[in-house]
Amino acid sequence: MRTNLIIILAALFLASCASNTPDCSGPQSRNLATAIDEAQGALANGCHAHFDRYYDTLLGAGEGDPKPENKRAFSEFLVWSSDQGLLSTRQAQNYYNRYFNVKFMSLRGDYNNCSHTCPNKQKVLFDMERELSDKERGLLKVSLDNKGYYRADQLYHEVELVLEATCTACAAAR
Amino acid sequence: MRNAPRDAQATRKETAPRRTLYVICLTILFIAFTCVVTQDALANTPTIRLFPTTVVEDLKQTGNVARDMETGLQEVIGRLDQQQELYIESKCDGADGDAGCQRLARQIGSTYLEMLTIMEERLPDMEHTVNNTRNSLEKGLRNELGRKMTPWTLQETLVGNDASPATVQSAPALRGRSGMRLSERFKQYYTLVATSGAKGDQSLAVLASDIYLDMEETSQLIQRTRQEIARATLMEQLNQSFGIITPEMIEVVGGVKTILFGESDATAIVAGPPPGSLEQAYRSPLEQ
Repeated sequence: MRTNLIIILAALFLASCASNTPDCSGPQSRNLATAIDEAQGALANGCHAHFDRYYDTLLGAGEGDPKPENKRAFSEFLVWSSDQGLLSTRQAQNYYNRYFNVKFMSLRGDYNNCSHTCPNKQKVLFDMERELSDKERGLLKVSLDNKGYYRADQLYHEVELVLEATCTACAAAR
Repeated sequence: MRNAPRDAQATRKETAPRRTLYVICLTILFIAFTCVVTQDALANTPTIRLFPTTVVEDLKQTGNVARDMETGLQEVIGRLDQQQELYIESKCDGADGDAGCQRLARQIGSTYLEMLTIMEERLPDMEHTVNNTRNSLEKGLRNELGRKMTPWTLQETLVGNDASPATVQSAPALRGRSGMRLSERFKQYYTLVATSGAKGDQSLAVLASDIYLDMEETSQLIQRTRQEIARATLMEQLNQSFGIITPEMIEVVGGVKTILFGESDATAIVAGPPPGSLEQAYRSPLEQ
Protein backbone atom coordinates (compact mmCIF):
# COMPACT_ATOMS: atom_id res chain seq x y z
CA MET A 1 0.00 0.00 0.00
CA ARG A 2 2.80 2.38 0.99
CA THR A 3 4.82 1.44 -2.11
CA ASN A 4 1.84 2.27 -4.32
CA LEU A 5 1.52 5.64 -2.64
CA ILE A 6 5.20 6.39 -3.24
CA ILE A 7 4.89 5.40 -6.89
CA ILE A 8 1.82 7.62 -7.33
CA LEU A 9 3.58 10.54 -5.65
CA ALA A 10 6.67 10.09 -7.79
CA ALA A 11 4.54 9.96 -10.93
CA LEU A 12 2.74 13.12 -9.88
CA PHE A 13 6.09 14.82 -9.18
CA LEU A 14 7.45 13.86 -12.59
CA ALA A 15 4.25 14.97 -14.29
CA SER A 16 4.47 18.33 -12.58
CA CYS A 17 8.06 18.66 -13.80
CA ALA A 18 7.02 17.85 -17.36
CA SER A 19 4.31 20.48 -17.36
CA ASN A 20 6.94 23.14 -16.42
CA THR A 21 9.04 22.55 -19.55
CA PRO A 22 8.87 25.81 -21.53
CA ASP A 23 7.35 25.85 -24.96
CA CYS A 24 10.22 26.72 -27.26
CA SER A 25 8.44 26.31 -30.56
CA GLY A 26 9.21 29.96 -31.39
CA PRO A 27 7.15 33.07 -32.07
CA GLN A 28 3.98 32.32 -34.01
CA SER A 29 2.89 35.85 -34.88
CA ARG A 30 3.59 37.29 -38.32
CA ASN A 31 3.66 40.77 -36.81
CA LEU A 32 7.22 41.72 -35.87
CA ALA A 33 6.41 43.62 -32.66
CA THR A 34 4.21 40.79 -31.38
CA ALA A 35 6.73 38.19 -32.50
CA ILE A 36 9.46 40.03 -30.58
CA ASP A 37 7.24 40.08 -27.45
CA GLU A 38 6.63 36.34 -27.79
CA ALA A 39 10.33 35.69 -28.33
CA GLN A 40 11.32 37.77 -25.31
CA GLY A 41 8.79 35.87 -23.16
CA ALA A 42 10.08 32.50 -24.30
CA LEU A 43 13.76 33.47 -24.09
CA ALA A 44 13.32 34.78 -20.57
CA ASN A 45 11.65 31.49 -19.65
CA GLY A 46 14.46 29.17 -20.50
CA CYS A 47 14.46 28.96 -24.30
CA HIS A 48 17.73 30.86 -24.70
CA ALA A 49 19.38 27.82 -26.29
CA HIS A 50 17.12 28.42 -29.28
CA PHE A 51 18.24 32.03 -29.79
CA ASP A 52 19.52 31.50 -33.34
CA ARG A 53 16.25 29.95 -34.47
CA TYR A 54 14.23 32.70 -32.80
CA TYR A 55 16.33 35.40 -34.46
CA ASP A 56 15.80 33.73 -37.81
CA THR A 57 12.03 33.56 -37.22
CA LEU A 58 12.00 37.24 -36.29
CA LEU A 59 13.86 38.10 -39.49
CA GLY A 60 11.19 36.15 -41.36
CA ALA A 61 8.51 38.23 -39.63
CA GLY A 62 10.41 41.40 -40.55
CA GLU A 63 10.56 40.30 -44.19
CA GLY A 64 6.77 39.97 -44.11
CA ASP A 65 6.39 43.63 -43.21
CA PRO A 66 9.56 45.39 -44.42
CA LYS A 67 10.10 48.96 -43.22
CA PRO A 68 13.04 51.14 -42.06
CA GLU A 69 11.81 51.08 -38.45
CA ASN A 70 12.48 47.34 -38.25
CA LYS A 71 16.16 48.15 -37.79
CA ARG A 72 15.41 49.84 -34.50
CA ALA A 73 13.15 46.96 -33.41
CA PHE A 74 15.96 44.45 -33.97
CA SER A 75 18.51 46.69 -32.29
CA GLU A 76 16.29 47.07 -29.22
CA PHE A 77 15.64 43.33 -29.12
CA LEU A 78 19.38 42.64 -29.19
CA VAL A 79 20.15 45.26 -26.56
CA TRP A 80 17.45 43.63 -24.39
CA SER A 81 19.01 40.20 -25.00
CA SER A 82 22.37 41.57 -23.97
CA ASP A 83 20.92 43.24 -20.86
CA GLN A 84 19.22 39.97 -19.91
CA GLY A 85 22.55 38.17 -20.17
CA LEU A 86 21.35 35.98 -23.04
CA LEU A 87 24.09 37.38 -25.28
CA SER A 88 27.40 39.08 -24.60
CA THR A 89 27.76 42.62 -25.93
CA ARG A 90 30.07 41.33 -28.65
CA GLN A 91 27.55 38.67 -29.71
CA ALA A 92 24.77 41.28 -29.81
CA GLN A 93 26.97 43.53 -31.96
CA ASN A 94 27.69 40.61 -34.25
CA TYR A 95 24.00 39.75 -34.67
CA TYR A 96 23.13 43.37 -35.42
CA ASN A 97 26.01 44.36 -37.68
CA ARG A 98 25.98 41.17 -39.70
CA TYR A 99 22.44 41.92 -40.88
CA PHE A 100 21.91 45.66 -40.52
CA ASN A 101 25.25 47.40 -40.99
CA VAL A 102 27.27 48.13 -44.11
CA LYS A 103 30.54 47.01 -42.51
CA PHE A 104 31.55 43.37 -42.61
CA MET A 105 32.04 41.52 -39.34
CA SER A 106 33.99 38.88 -41.30
CA LEU A 107 36.81 41.42 -41.49
CA ARG A 108 37.39 41.48 -37.76
CA GLY A 109 40.98 40.70 -36.91
CA ASP A 110 43.84 42.02 -34.81
CA TYR A 111 46.77 41.08 -37.05
CA ASN A 112 48.04 42.86 -40.12
CA ASN A 113 46.85 41.99 -43.60
CA CYS A 114 50.17 40.65 -44.92
CA SER A 115 50.57 38.16 -42.10
CA HIS A 116 46.99 37.14 -41.44
CA THR A 117 44.44 38.15 -44.07
CA CYS A 118 46.46 37.29 -47.17
CA PRO A 119 47.16 33.64 -46.27
CA ASN A 120 43.40 33.22 -45.67
CA LYS A 121 42.19 35.51 -48.44
CA GLN A 122 39.86 33.00 -50.06
CA LYS A 123 38.19 32.13 -46.77
CA VAL A 124 37.81 35.80 -45.84
CA LEU A 125 36.17 36.55 -49.18
CA PHE A 126 33.93 33.51 -48.90
CA ASP A 127 32.82 34.60 -45.41
CA MET A 128 32.18 38.11 -46.70
CA GLU A 129 30.06 36.73 -49.51
CA ARG A 130 27.94 34.83 -47.03
CA GLU A 131 27.64 37.90 -44.86
CA LEU A 132 26.59 39.93 -47.88
CA SER A 133 23.63 37.59 -48.36
CA ASP A 134 22.70 38.16 -44.68
CA LYS A 135 22.94 41.89 -45.30
CA GLU A 136 20.69 41.47 -48.29
CA ARG A 137 18.14 39.96 -45.93
CA GLY A 138 18.59 42.48 -43.12
CA LEU A 139 19.21 45.71 -45.00
CA LEU A 140 17.19 45.10 -48.12
CA LYS A 141 14.38 42.68 -47.28
CA VAL A 142 13.71 43.57 -43.65
CA SER A 143 14.50 47.29 -43.39
CA LEU A 144 14.27 48.48 -47.03
CA ASP A 145 17.67 50.14 -46.75
CA ASN A 146 18.50 49.82 -50.43
CA LYS A 147 21.31 52.36 -50.35
CA GLY A 148 22.92 50.61 -47.39
CA TYR A 149 22.84 47.27 -49.17
CA TYR A 150 24.24 48.80 -52.34
CA ARG A 151 27.09 50.34 -50.34
CA ALA A 152 27.80 46.95 -48.69
CA ASP A 153 27.88 45.29 -52.11
CA GLN A 154 30.23 48.00 -53.36
CA LEU A 155 32.40 47.62 -50.27
CA TYR A 156 32.65 43.87 -50.87
CA HIS A 157 33.99 44.51 -54.38
CA GLU A 158 36.39 47.20 -53.16
CA VAL A 159 37.77 44.91 -50.45
CA GLU A 160 38.17 42.14 -53.03
CA LEU A 161 40.16 44.45 -55.31
CA VAL A 162 42.26 46.05 -52.58
CA LEU A 163 43.06 42.68 -50.99
CA GLU A 164 44.07 41.25 -54.35
CA ALA A 165 46.49 44.14 -54.88
CA THR A 166 47.75 44.22 -51.29
CA CYS A 167 48.33 40.48 -51.14
CA THR A 168 50.14 40.51 -54.49
CA ALA A 169 52.34 43.32 -53.12
CA CYS A 170 52.92 41.41 -49.87
CA ALA A 171 53.94 38.28 -51.77
CA ALA A 172 56.25 40.08 -54.21
CA ALA A 173 59.88 40.14 -53.15
CA ARG A 174 61.38 42.62 -55.55
CA MET B 1 29.78 119.68 -13.21
CA ARG B 2 30.43 121.84 -16.25
CA ASN B 3 33.43 119.72 -17.12
CA ALA B 4 31.42 116.50 -17.04
CA PRO B 5 30.66 116.16 -20.83
CA ARG B 6 34.24 116.97 -21.63
CA ASP B 7 35.41 114.25 -19.18
CA ALA B 8 33.05 111.75 -20.71
CA GLN B 9 34.33 112.60 -24.16
CA ALA B 10 37.89 112.24 -22.96
CA THR B 11 37.11 108.87 -21.38
CA ARG B 12 35.42 107.71 -24.59
CA LYS B 13 38.50 108.81 -26.53
CA GLU B 14 40.70 106.83 -24.19
CA THR B 15 38.59 103.64 -24.23
CA ALA B 16 38.15 103.53 -28.01
CA PRO B 17 41.74 102.44 -28.79
CA ARG B 18 41.62 100.05 -25.86
CA ARG B 19 38.47 98.41 -27.23
CA THR B 20 40.07 98.11 -30.65
CA LEU B 21 43.06 96.46 -29.01
CA TYR B 22 40.72 94.01 -27.24
CA VAL B 23 39.02 93.16 -30.52
CA ILE B 24 42.37 92.63 -32.23
CA CYS B 25 43.62 90.45 -29.38
CA LEU B 26 40.41 88.41 -29.38
CA THR B 27 40.60 87.95 -33.15
CA ILE B 28 44.22 86.79 -32.91
CA LEU B 29 43.29 84.41 -30.13
CA PHE B 30 40.36 83.06 -32.15
CA ILE B 31 42.54 82.54 -35.24
CA ALA B 32 45.23 80.85 -33.17
CA PHE B 33 42.64 78.59 -31.57
CA THR B 34 41.14 77.68 -34.96
CA CYS B 35 44.60 76.88 -36.33
CA VAL B 36 45.41 74.64 -33.36
CA VAL B 37 42.07 72.81 -33.64
CA THR B 38 42.43 72.35 -37.41
CA GLN B 39 45.99 71.08 -37.09
CA ASP B 40 44.92 68.74 -34.35
CA ALA B 41 42.08 67.40 -36.48
CA LEU B 42 44.44 66.92 -39.40
CA ALA B 43 46.92 65.15 -37.17
CA ASN B 44 44.20 62.79 -35.98
CA THR B 45 43.09 61.93 -39.51
CA PRO B 46 44.89 58.79 -40.62
CA THR B 47 46.57 59.47 -43.93
CA ILE B 48 47.97 56.79 -46.14
CA ARG B 49 50.92 57.50 -48.36
CA LEU B 50 50.23 55.52 -51.48
CA PHE B 51 51.16 58.00 -54.17
CA PRO B 52 54.60 59.51 -53.77
CA THR B 53 55.49 62.14 -56.38
CA THR B 54 57.59 59.57 -58.25
CA VAL B 55 54.44 57.55 -59.04
CA VAL B 56 52.74 60.60 -60.48
CA GLU B 57 55.75 61.34 -62.66
CA ASP B 58 56.07 57.69 -63.72
CA LEU B 59 52.43 57.62 -64.75
CA LYS B 60 52.87 60.75 -66.82
CA GLN B 61 55.95 59.34 -68.51
CA THR B 62 54.28 55.99 -69.21
CA GLY B 63 51.39 57.86 -70.82
CA ASN B 64 53.81 59.76 -73.06
CA VAL B 65 55.67 56.59 -74.07
CA ALA B 66 52.36 54.86 -74.82
CA ARG B 67 51.24 57.81 -76.93
CA ASP B 68 54.47 57.77 -78.93
CA MET B 69 54.08 54.07 -79.55
CA GLU B 70 50.48 54.50 -80.64
CA THR B 71 51.37 57.31 -83.03
CA GLY B 72 54.13 55.21 -84.54
CA LEU B 73 51.95 52.16 -84.91
CA GLN B 74 48.72 53.79 -85.99
CA GLU B 75 49.94 54.51 -89.50
CA VAL B 76 51.51 51.06 -89.95
CA ILE B 77 48.42 49.25 -88.67
CA GLY B 78 46.19 51.38 -90.91
CA ARG B 79 48.32 50.40 -93.90
CA LEU B 80 48.21 46.76 -92.82
CA ASP B 81 44.41 46.89 -92.65
CA GLN B 82 44.20 48.31 -96.17
CA GLN B 83 46.58 45.69 -97.56
CA GLN B 84 44.62 42.92 -95.88
CA GLU B 85 41.37 44.27 -97.30
CA LEU B 86 42.87 44.36 -100.78
CA TYR B 87 44.13 40.79 -100.32
CA ILE B 88 40.63 39.58 -99.41
CA GLU B 89 38.91 41.62 -102.14
CA SER B 90 41.30 40.20 -104.71
CA LYS B 91 40.26 36.71 -103.58
CA CYS B 92 43.89 35.85 -102.86
CA ASP B 93 42.96 33.61 -99.97
CA GLY B 94 43.95 30.13 -101.16
CA ALA B 95 45.39 31.33 -104.49
CA ASP B 96 48.96 30.38 -103.60
CA GLY B 97 50.24 30.12 -107.15
CA ASP B 98 49.16 33.61 -108.25
CA ALA B 99 52.15 35.97 -108.65
CA GLY B 100 50.14 39.13 -107.88
CA CYS B 101 48.77 37.60 -104.70
CA GLN B 102 52.25 36.53 -103.65
CA ARG B 103 53.49 40.07 -104.11
CA LEU B 104 50.60 41.37 -102.05
CA ALA B 105 51.34 38.82 -99.34
CA ARG B 106 54.98 39.90 -99.26
CA GLN B 107 53.91 43.51 -98.88
CA ILE B 108 51.68 42.58 -95.97
CA GLY B 109 54.51 40.59 -94.43
CA SER B 110 56.87 43.52 -94.80
CA THR B 111 54.41 45.93 -93.12
CA TYR B 112 53.94 43.37 -90.38
CA LEU B 113 57.69 43.28 -89.82
CA GLU B 114 57.69 47.06 -89.69
CA MET B 115 55.07 46.92 -86.95
CA LEU B 116 57.09 44.37 -84.98
CA THR B 117 60.22 46.54 -85.28
CA ILE B 118 58.46 49.64 -83.98
CA MET B 119 57.12 47.64 -81.05
CA GLU B 120 60.53 46.15 -80.35
CA GLU B 121 62.03 49.63 -80.25
CA ARG B 122 59.39 51.20 -78.03
CA LEU B 123 58.56 48.38 -75.66
CA PRO B 124 61.72 48.54 -73.48
CA ASP B 125 60.95 52.19 -72.55
CA MET B 126 57.39 51.26 -71.87
CA GLU B 127 58.41 48.28 -69.77
CA HIS B 128 60.82 50.43 -67.78
CA THR B 129 58.28 53.11 -66.83
CA VAL B 130 55.51 50.58 -66.17
CA ASN B 131 57.82 48.60 -63.87
CA ASN B 132 58.86 51.76 -62.03
CA THR B 133 55.24 52.70 -61.37
CA ARG B 134 54.41 49.16 -60.33
CA ASN B 135 57.36 48.94 -57.91
CA SER B 136 56.56 52.26 -56.21
CA LEU B 137 52.91 51.32 -55.80
CA GLU B 138 53.85 47.86 -54.62
CA LYS B 139 56.00 49.27 -51.83
CA GLY B 140 53.25 51.66 -50.75
CA LEU B 141 50.55 49.00 -50.77
CA ARG B 142 52.70 46.51 -48.86
CA ASN B 143 53.68 48.98 -46.15
CA GLU B 144 50.55 51.10 -45.80
CA LEU B 145 47.76 48.59 -46.38
CA GLY B 146 49.52 45.27 -45.85
CA ARG B 147 51.69 45.81 -42.81
CA LYS B 148 50.20 48.82 -41.01
CA MET B 149 46.56 47.79 -41.30
CA THR B 150 44.35 45.00 -40.00
CA PRO B 151 41.40 43.86 -42.13
CA TRP B 152 39.11 45.96 -39.92
CA THR B 153 41.14 49.18 -40.29
CA LEU B 154 41.37 48.54 -44.02
CA GLN B 155 37.59 48.27 -44.15
CA GLU B 156 37.22 51.47 -42.15
CA THR B 157 39.56 53.23 -44.56
CA LEU B 158 37.47 52.07 -47.49
CA VAL B 159 34.19 53.02 -45.89
CA GLY B 160 35.50 56.43 -44.81
CA ASN B 161 34.08 58.44 -41.97
CA ASP B 162 30.51 57.70 -42.86
CA ALA B 163 29.12 54.71 -44.67
CA SER B 164 26.80 56.88 -46.73
CA PRO B 165 26.38 55.95 -50.38
CA ALA B 166 27.44 59.47 -51.40
CA THR B 167 31.06 58.32 -51.15
CA VAL B 168 30.38 55.67 -53.77
CA GLN B 169 29.82 58.26 -56.45
CA SER B 170 33.13 60.01 -55.82
CA ALA B 171 35.05 56.73 -55.82
CA PRO B 172 36.99 55.96 -59.00
CA ALA B 173 35.70 53.40 -61.43
CA LEU B 174 37.00 49.90 -60.93
CA ARG B 175 39.05 47.84 -63.33
CA GLY B 176 38.06 46.93 -66.84
CA ARG B 177 39.28 49.54 -69.25
CA SER B 178 39.69 47.31 -72.26
CA GLY B 179 37.77 49.75 -74.43
CA MET B 180 40.34 52.49 -73.99
CA ARG B 181 43.56 53.53 -75.69
CA LEU B 182 46.64 52.72 -73.64
CA SER B 183 47.78 56.36 -73.56
CA GLU B 184 44.26 57.47 -72.57
CA ARG B 185 44.29 54.93 -69.77
CA PHE B 186 47.53 56.34 -68.35
CA LYS B 187 46.34 59.88 -68.89
CA GLN B 188 43.25 59.05 -66.88
CA TYR B 189 45.36 57.44 -64.16
CA TYR B 190 47.59 60.47 -64.04
CA THR B 191 44.62 62.83 -63.75
CA LEU B 192 43.05 60.69 -61.05
CA VAL B 193 46.26 60.51 -59.04
CA ALA B 194 47.20 64.15 -59.54
CA THR B 195 43.79 65.29 -58.31
CA SER B 196 43.50 62.64 -55.62
CA GLY B 197 44.63 64.99 -52.83
CA ALA B 198 41.11 66.29 -52.37
CA LYS B 199 39.64 62.82 -52.12
CA GLY B 200 39.58 60.65 -49.04
CA ASP B 201 41.82 57.71 -48.26
CA GLN B 202 39.09 55.31 -49.33
CA SER B 203 39.38 56.45 -52.97
CA LEU B 204 43.17 56.37 -52.82
CA ALA B 205 43.32 52.76 -51.63
CA VAL B 206 41.00 51.58 -54.41
CA LEU B 207 42.76 53.71 -56.99
CA ALA B 208 46.23 52.52 -55.98
CA SER B 209 45.09 48.88 -56.03
CA ASP B 210 43.44 49.36 -59.38
CA ILE B 211 46.50 50.93 -60.99
CA TYR B 212 48.91 48.49 -59.36
CA LEU B 213 47.06 45.40 -60.63
CA ASP B 214 46.83 46.95 -64.08
CA MET B 215 50.58 47.71 -64.07
CA GLU B 216 51.32 44.17 -62.96
CA GLU B 217 49.26 42.76 -65.84
CA THR B 218 50.70 45.24 -68.34
CA SER B 219 54.23 44.43 -67.24
CA GLN B 220 53.66 40.70 -67.74
CA LEU B 221 52.01 41.36 -71.08
CA ILE B 222 54.92 43.48 -72.27
CA GLN B 223 57.36 40.80 -71.18
CA ARG B 224 55.44 38.13 -73.10
CA THR B 225 55.03 40.41 -76.11
CA ARG B 226 58.76 41.09 -76.29
CA GLN B 227 59.48 37.38 -76.28
CA GLU B 228 56.84 36.83 -78.95
CA ILE B 229 58.17 39.65 -81.13
CA ALA B 230 61.60 38.05 -81.36
CA ARG B 231 60.03 34.78 -82.43
CA ALA B 232 57.49 36.35 -84.80
CA THR B 233 60.19 38.47 -86.49
CA LEU B 234 62.25 35.40 -87.24
CA MET B 235 59.22 33.53 -88.57
CA GLU B 236 58.18 36.42 -90.76
CA GLN B 237 61.65 36.86 -92.19
CA LEU B 238 61.44 33.21 -93.28
CA ASN B 239 57.91 33.65 -94.63
CA GLN B 240 58.95 36.67 -96.66
CA SER B 241 60.79 34.45 -99.06
CA PHE B 242 57.58 32.46 -99.74
CA GLY B 243 55.01 35.28 -99.56
CA ILE B 244 52.69 33.61 -97.06
CA ILE B 245 50.19 35.22 -94.73
CA THR B 246 49.84 33.15 -91.59
CA PRO B 247 46.74 33.22 -89.38
CA GLU B 248 49.14 33.99 -86.52
CA MET B 249 50.04 37.27 -88.22
CA ILE B 250 46.42 38.36 -88.33
CA GLU B 251 46.00 37.30 -84.73
CA VAL B 252 49.05 39.29 -83.53
CA VAL B 253 47.89 42.42 -85.35
CA GLY B 254 44.45 42.01 -83.80
CA GLY B 255 46.03 41.61 -80.36
CA VAL B 256 48.17 44.73 -80.75
CA LYS B 257 45.11 46.74 -81.84
CA THR B 258 43.20 45.55 -78.82
CA ILE B 259 45.98 46.45 -76.36
CA LEU B 260 46.85 49.80 -77.85
CA PHE B 261 43.60 51.15 -79.18
CA GLY B 262 41.01 49.26 -77.12
CA GLU B 263 37.84 47.60 -78.27
CA SER B 264 34.84 49.72 -78.97
CA ASP B 265 32.25 47.08 -78.03
CA ALA B 266 33.72 46.30 -74.61
CA THR B 267 31.84 48.15 -71.90
CA ALA B 268 32.51 47.85 -68.21
CA ILE B 269 29.72 46.11 -66.37
CA VAL B 270 28.62 48.13 -63.42
CA ALA B 271 26.07 46.75 -61.00
CA GLY B 272 23.16 49.13 -60.64
CA PRO B 273 21.62 50.01 -57.31
CA PRO B 274 18.61 48.03 -56.23
CA PRO B 275 15.27 49.72 -56.96
CA GLY B 276 13.95 52.38 -54.65
CA SER B 277 15.83 54.75 -52.40
CA LEU B 278 14.79 55.39 -48.84
CA GLU B 279 16.66 57.71 -46.54
CA GLN B 280 18.01 55.98 -43.44
CA ALA B 281 18.57 57.96 -40.32
CA TYR B 282 18.51 55.37 -37.58
CA ARG B 283 21.80 54.42 -35.95
CA SER B 284 21.80 51.54 -33.52
CA PRO B 285 23.89 51.71 -30.34
CA LEU B 286 25.22 48.31 -31.44
CA GLU B 287 26.50 49.66 -34.74
CA GLN B 288 30.29 49.61 -35.22
